[in-house]
Amino acid sequence: MSSRFLELAVVALIALTLLGCERESRRFSDSPATPRGVQTIRQSELQPGSSIPTSGPPSPYDDNAYAVSQGKQLFEWFNCKGCHADGGGSIGPALMDEKWIYGSAPANIYATIVEGRPNGMPSFRDKIPPQQVWQLVAYVRSLSGQLRKDVEPSRADHLFTRKSESSSPKSAPVSSSAPRDTQ
Amino acid sequence: MMGRLSNARFRWLAVGCALLAPPGCSSNHAAMNPAGPRARSIAELMLGFVSVSTVVYLIVSAVLVWAIARRRRAGTSDDWLQRGSSEQSNVRSRQVISWATALTVLILLTLALCDYFVMHGLSSRPTDSLRILVTGHQYWWEVEYDDPDPSRRVRTANELHIPVGKPVELVLTSQDVIHSMWMPNLSGKKDLIPGHQNTEVLLADRPGTFSGQCAEFCGLQHAKMRLMVYAEPPKQFAAWKQAQLQDARNPSNDIQRHGLEVFESSTCILCHTIQGTQAAATVAPDLTHLASRTTIAAGALPNTQSNLASWILAPHRFKPGVQMPATQLQPDDLAALAAYLASLK
Amino acid sequence: MRTPSTLLLIFVSTVVTALAAAQTGGTRSGEQWPTPAGDAANTRFSSLTDINSSNVDKLQVRFTFSTGLTHGHEAAPIVSGNTMYIVTPFPNALLALPLEDSGAPLRFKYQSNPSSSSQGVACCDTINRGATYSNGRVFFNTLDGQTVAVDAATGAEIWRVHLADIKRGETMTMAPFVAKGKVLVGNSGGEFGVRGWLTALDEKSGQQVWRAYSTGSDRDVLIGADFKPFYAGDRGQDLGIRTWPPGAWQRGGGTVWGWISYDPDLNLIFYGTGNPGPWNPDQRPGDNKWTAGIFARDVDTGAAKWFYQMSPHDLYDYDGVNENVLMDIDIGGKPRKVLAHPDRNGYLYVIDRATGEVISANPFVHVNTIDKIDLPTGRPHYVPEKKPTVGHVVRDICPHAAGGKDWQPSAYSPMTHFLYIPHQNMCQDEEAVPANYIAGTPYVGANVKMHAGEGGNRGVFSAWDVANGKSVWEIAEKFPVWSGALVTAGNVAFYGTMDGWFKAVDARTGRLLWQFKTGSGIVGQPVSYRGPDGKQYVAILSGVGGWAGAVVSGDLDPQDASAGNGWGGAMADLPQYTQKGGAVYVFALP
Repeated sequence: MSSRFLELAVVALIALTLLGCERESRRFSDSPATPRGVQTIRQSELQPGSSIPTSGPPSPYDDNAYAVSQGKQLFEWFNCKGCHADGGGSIGPALMDEKWIYGSAPANIYATIVEGRPNGMPSFRDKIPPQQVWQLVAYVRSLSGQLRKDVEPSRADHLFTRKSESSSPKSAPVSSSAPRDTQ
Repeated sequence: MMGRLSNARFRWLAVGCALLAPPGCSSNHAAMNPAGPRARSIAELMLGFVSVSTVVYLIVSAVLVWAIARRRRAGTSDDWLQRGSSEQSNVRSRQVISWATALTVLILLTLALCDYFVMHGLSSRPTDSLRILVTGHQYWWEVEYDDPDPSRRVRTANELHIPVGKPVELVLTSQDVIHSMWMPNLSGKKDLIPGHQNTEVLLADRPGTFSGQCAEFCGLQHAKMRLMVYAEPPKQFAAWKQAQLQDARNPSNDIQRHGLEVFESSTCILCHTIQGTQAAATVAPDLTHLASRTTIAAGALPNTQSNLASWILAPHRFKPGVQMPATQLQPDDLAALAAYLASLK
Repeated sequence: MRTPSTLLLIFVSTVVTALAAAQTGGTRSGEQWPTPAGDAANTRFSSLTDINSSNVDKLQVRFTFSTGLTHGHEAAPIVSGNTMYIVTPFPNALLALPLEDSGAPLRFKYQSNPSSSSQGVACCDTINRGATYSNGRVFFNTLDGQTVAVDAATGAEIWRVHLADIKRGETMTMAPFVAKGKVLVGNSGGEFGVRGWLTALDEKSGQQVWRAYSTGSDRDVLIGADFKPFYAGDRGQDLGIRTWPPGAWQRGGGTVWGWISYDPDLNLIFYGTGNPGPWNPDQRPGDNKWTAGIFARDVDTGAAKWFYQMSPHDLYDYDGVNENVLMDIDIGGKPRKVLAHPDRNGYLYVIDRATGEVISANPFVHVNTIDKIDLPTGRPHYVPEKKPTVGHVVRDICPHAAGGKDWQPSAYSPMTHFLYIPHQNMCQDEEAVPANYIAGTPYVGANVKMHAGEGGNRGVFSAWDVANGKSVWEIAEKFPVWSGALVTAGNVAFYGTMDGWFKAVDARTGRLLWQFKTGSGIVGQPVSYRGPDGKQYVAILSGVGGWAGAVVSGDLDPQDASAGNGWGGAMADLPQYTQKGGAVYVFALP
């Protein structure tokens, strides 16, 4: 009985370590999913004829707490926070809710940042390198609670404006929402 | 304590150093090579403590050796015990112990007083000092010169220029984690704490180049966070400051012009400032007069055009964990950019 | 048939009205309302008396017209030649509604087609504060920085100039002001590190006549030999450069997005400059001239005559752009030509408009950031414990960044001599952080969350006795009163609330006389005019939004108290009380 317990304990320890490895891994010279990979994503659900499911490349940093916290730092440095606040929105839409105007898949978010969008989102292509864009993608997803709780940032050492990302409930994305006014 | 310094004593100190630790004393990163009265008082205090401790250590060691040897000479342990139990030797033992204790206390008190006077002297804040704001970042130093005329405030990074003979008050804080500043030739260590301002005073009494270091573990590249200090005669300092106030030099040929275009159209413009261009971001070092500095990346690399290019292409080869990302550029764009940056004197 | 006594009454009332208009130094074209402020003195006073305090309770809706848009409707629905002109929020269409035709079916709808990307650099909802009519033309600004002149009768474009660059974060939202053949327009973007300016365009051709920057060299700011500021701190050479760290003036703000008034006798225009950028004051030591202050300039050349800075080295985003209402009143027994200026910093300034001397400055809301204005030097004394600085959180800063009063304009009655001020009662917690300048992105440097001030009411509509410097009566409102004010010779004051009530109160006592719940919150400017049928009408745009209403118009998430630059937590209940959607409401007696 005790040797069985010991075996289980060893297996658990190895599993936790491996989990921790990815959570804490720092890959400084990464070249995650190339832009070409991102271009397979679609914005519309509709495809004429038959539908081929495509979701684009996955978010490479969903399990990496270091990358998510880098993303949080970049979110402030590159003034994303100036338009999106701490997820509640301001000039730009809220990022912590369930509405995703331009798609919620990681590749959609990547494309939104890099290409910009017609109602005022600037295009950051060539201004933010791909690895940092993926860090931002991971952080943006954490704003609506979509990452594992131990990966999302916890309480920041700043003025308290909202519950920390890791203690906020998940807002599951809905498929689409209306864009802004036209005449 | 500071007032009673003399050249003769310093010469003695220097000789002692030279004998004990040849490289440390002429180096620009050595506490035993003080360049100003404040650092000198610390070095002196250190030498005083070391000297006294050494003497005490030698005396105690000698007594210990003598005691062991004497015991061996004394023959059987019974004889020794018998001798030790006499009334006279008990009294003598007590006397020796009392004197030794009293002397120890006296020495310690004296050392404590010396320390107090030195610390008291160092805590003085001269009123006519040049004020410089130093902000610690991972892994670079942001430097801004205060001035009653706000349009004469100079911003630079990773180096300080100070005039010889004039006290300099550094106001220290941090943007991220706790760092600590230590220029051994000029001052002791002082922490840079986020949300808090510390002050430290520097005073150089001879010109020279001195090296400083981050002295509080702040992350992966804590070891490569060097701060250079240039103590200069006042006229040279004023000329340096005036030059730093100017906008960046305009590009003087097509390659440099292309380099500026590359700078303004790629990742650089999101983090760096070059005064006089469109770039005015402040999360990374100010590059307006980059070419006037001797090193880049907070002392990690000598400032040459090819090092600049290598650094821009792959900073993590030299400082893995640094905040600057790798910038993918075509070779000729990279070369033009490096040429432009190398022209920013 | 008119009797002699009736004729005499008409004659006398016409003379009295003309005298009243002349006293305020304003000019009025008939009984229409051709500019948002009503007249050049910015009184927003209607001389019409048909609607008065005893019959206003019978006011009814005569017609409404939907704009089809869902962002903040801050404009004034101006009226000239029996046509009502409305500039919508983005995409800034100009609607012309003929008032003779029942239901006012559009005479024309001019599409200005601004760039849709401009929505991404508008700090405070994609609003527009209205058009101005002059000499057969209607002038207005578009969000992407163009000034347009349109034929008032046909809607044909006469000229269009592109003045502001959205790639640098510049937009335009203010209502143009016309004086002596010049169209005066200013830019927005103080939260984007934009350099502020006021430009005069020729009314007929759109050619630039002069431009006065708010920062930079004396030459750029049009400061020359005629410049005689009253206070010593405003005298010196190139202060627009020397009171900033090197280069910071180029990103210094001082945008001109508010109101302009004009005194034809002095030939001076008066306007305020916006906040310095960024909000984080540690990045811009110095007085930061010429931001957060009032300029008096010669209307023909733009040359500055005087300047007064309400908030030197502003710490709280206290823009100086609020209205300067010109009035000739008796102060201390002497007649003075003054302007009254309810500032963002919570103080109501009465300033001699010929010299720039501050005669009085009294708080009209609870202020704990500035404990007094030192009249000999004109400088405010900032309270040290309330100064924001990097790395520290300062709590209960009153008034908050939107001030004791933001852009929403007050109205002055020459009959009661009161200034009717729509405003708020709000405080905030703030943490200054380093701001990183990237052109075309926000340049702020502050984490802010707002809350109601003492008493719990977020809004106030009050009457202020200008000559004696004190409040007469105050009406507490649940939400900030973000609409403009209107006061009439019938002693009725009008304003709207953010949950959609359009209210009429007695101008003397503040007693509520009438109210009507419109379809959406009101953030527009009420106007009054005589319609083609001879009746007096009152018109207001309904359609919630603006900086305070962005929780609804922008669908912000109030779980983040800093959403909307601080309003998120303070306006979480607004969506319960109103939804988006704009329309003009026109009222008259039955």
